[in-house]
Amino acid sequence: MASTYQAAVSGGPVIEAKNLGVKFAVNRRRKRSLREMFIHGNKRDPNAEGNDFWPLRDVSFEIAKGDCVGIVGKNGTGKSTLLKMIAGVLLPDEGKVSVHGKVAPLLELRAGFNDNLTGRENVYLVGSLHGMTEQQIDERFDEIVDFAEIKPKFVDTPVRHYSSGMKVRLGFALISQLEHPIMLVDEVLAVGDKAFKRKCYEAIDRMLANERTMVLVSHNEKDLRRFCNRGLYIKGGELALDTDIDSALAAYNDDTKVEIEERKKKDAAKKKRAEEAAGTVQAEENATGPEAETPKDDGKDGGQAA
Amino acid sequence: MASRTLAVWEHRKVVGLLVRRDLKVKYQQSVLGYAWTMLEPLALTLVYFFVFGMVLNADRGIPEEAKPYGGYILFLVAGILPWTTFGAILSEAPRAMITHSKLITTMKVPREIFPMATVGTKFVEYLLTWPVLLIFVFAMGGRFTWEGMLVWLPLAIILTFVFGLGVTLFLASVNVLLRDVERLTRILTRLLFYGSAILFPAALVLNADGVPGWAKTIYELNPLMGIFQMHRTVWFAGFEELTPSALALTSAVVGSILMLIIGYWTFRRLEMSVLKEL
Repeated sequence: MASTYQAAVSGGPVIEAKNLGVKFAVNRRRKRSLREMFIHGNKRDPNAEGNDFWPLRDVSFEIAKGDCVGIVGKNGTGKSTLLKMIAGVLLPDEGKVSVHGKVAPLLELRAGFNDNLTGRENVYLVGSLHGMTEQQIDERFDEIVDFAEIKPKFVDTPVRHYSSGMKVRLGFALISQLEHPIMLVDEVLAVGDKAFKRKCYEAIDRMLANERTMVLVSHNEKDLRRFCNRGLYIKGGELALDTDIDSALAAYNDDTKVEIEERKKKDAAKKKRAEEAAGTVQAEENATGPEAETPKDDGKDGGQAA
Repeated sequence: MASRTLAVWEHRKVVGLLVRRDLKVKYQQSVLGYAWTMLEPLALTLVYFFVFGMVLNADRGIPEEAKPYGGYILFLVAGILPWTTFGAILSEAPRAMITHSKLITTMKVPREIFPMATVGTKFVEYLLTWPVLLIFVFAMGGRFTWEGMLVWLPLAIILTFVFGLGVTLFLASVNVLLRDVERLTRILTRLLFYGSAILFPAALVLNADGVPGWAKTIYELNPLMGIFQMHRTVWFAGFEELTPSALALTSAVVGSILMLIIGYWTFRRLEMSVLKEL
């Protein structure tokens, strides 16, 4: 899909997705026994056809350097799956995603923290896991602790004694120190109290000003509009729109509105049917007395199915 | 394949970090940390010495001339200490990926490094058993030979951990998809303990009249039997009864390499599904 923003930025795209698709098997483990797996191999796999679920399929896009892309869509349409594939922690079954440059994944801020180690030890461990050198962490350690608002006396306390807020703050403080050119953010802006949130926004603004690329998954329209210059709207596992963030959000909101209307109509119809059913039951009860339990159940089922 | 090996090599620092973290967590929580990990094999040795050595006379498999060089006690200790390490690998292998699911699903690193870190931790713990082993060697009059130190020791250690890494790669990935593997492993570990002749010299089985020939061949084909025999040959070099036969030696070397290949192949094949399940 051609994007008007690509032309504005020189150089090739930093993230490139081509016909991306990933499938999950439905009920894989229950339907396939150990015996079948070993004896018959893939021939008798009941999931070989028909039982696959593609949370995401045929998604192609390019993201240029310096872009901030917001991904919007309903729950369960594959937004986080897409982010995971860009991060390289999920491998696509179809297509290819190529990322040029190191990725700072803000997918789960507490990831990698070991409860039994102290805050200091965890910062060094997770920082090194993300590719920071010991020297870099030494230089920034005070800044990280200060940003996370962790009192000096708690720095050498095991993380299991931290509050969940403290852990998340420490995680964000650490990852925001990474100098990787690509950032992937999954709803993490929703953490912390108001004051900390503001600090997070400022940190992200600072990072974006540094010509870094960001992909953001969020349901918060304010966040999306604040940071993003481009929006991808994912609908039913497919890329429905690739435009600026306002149009993407508008399309998403329109679809949501339609859906709410439909649900309202359905609810109204259901209510009406239930009332009717209750009415007939009442009538039958009056006619046959206490034995009229079966028709009552039928009436209920019918209402639900509708 | 080559690029993958390179990627793993580039992340060797991460393996080191994970190993250091595991050791730190393990040893900082209890005061006696190191003493505890040694207490278990020592208590086991004591029990086995009484039951097998004194009651069941398993020490009759030790040649008379070897008795001054440590005898049955050193034989037991030299087998049980590496087995404790290997048993620990087997018991932690199925969870090597699952315990790191948070890291695996948020960080892009070659996934092999997690099983490697598990085995690496066990390797360090194995090195830590050496002081205890050396105490027994000196106390019981064990002897150092060139053959033992330069041939059997490196061979035994390398094969133990090559086999261990192969098993870990295999179990760690399969267990994510079929959690039954964890329980199965526990039973198999027990069987392998007796199948690898830890408590008695293998010659006792191989020279027994009551055991049919085919069973003896299977017994010798178990790569672990040869490997653990080597751990003892280090101290009893030159005694034919305590040295792995040509068949046992071959199956140990070929079996370990094969296990590593099978393990790695399985790991790579299942990688996509494992990432979805974690």
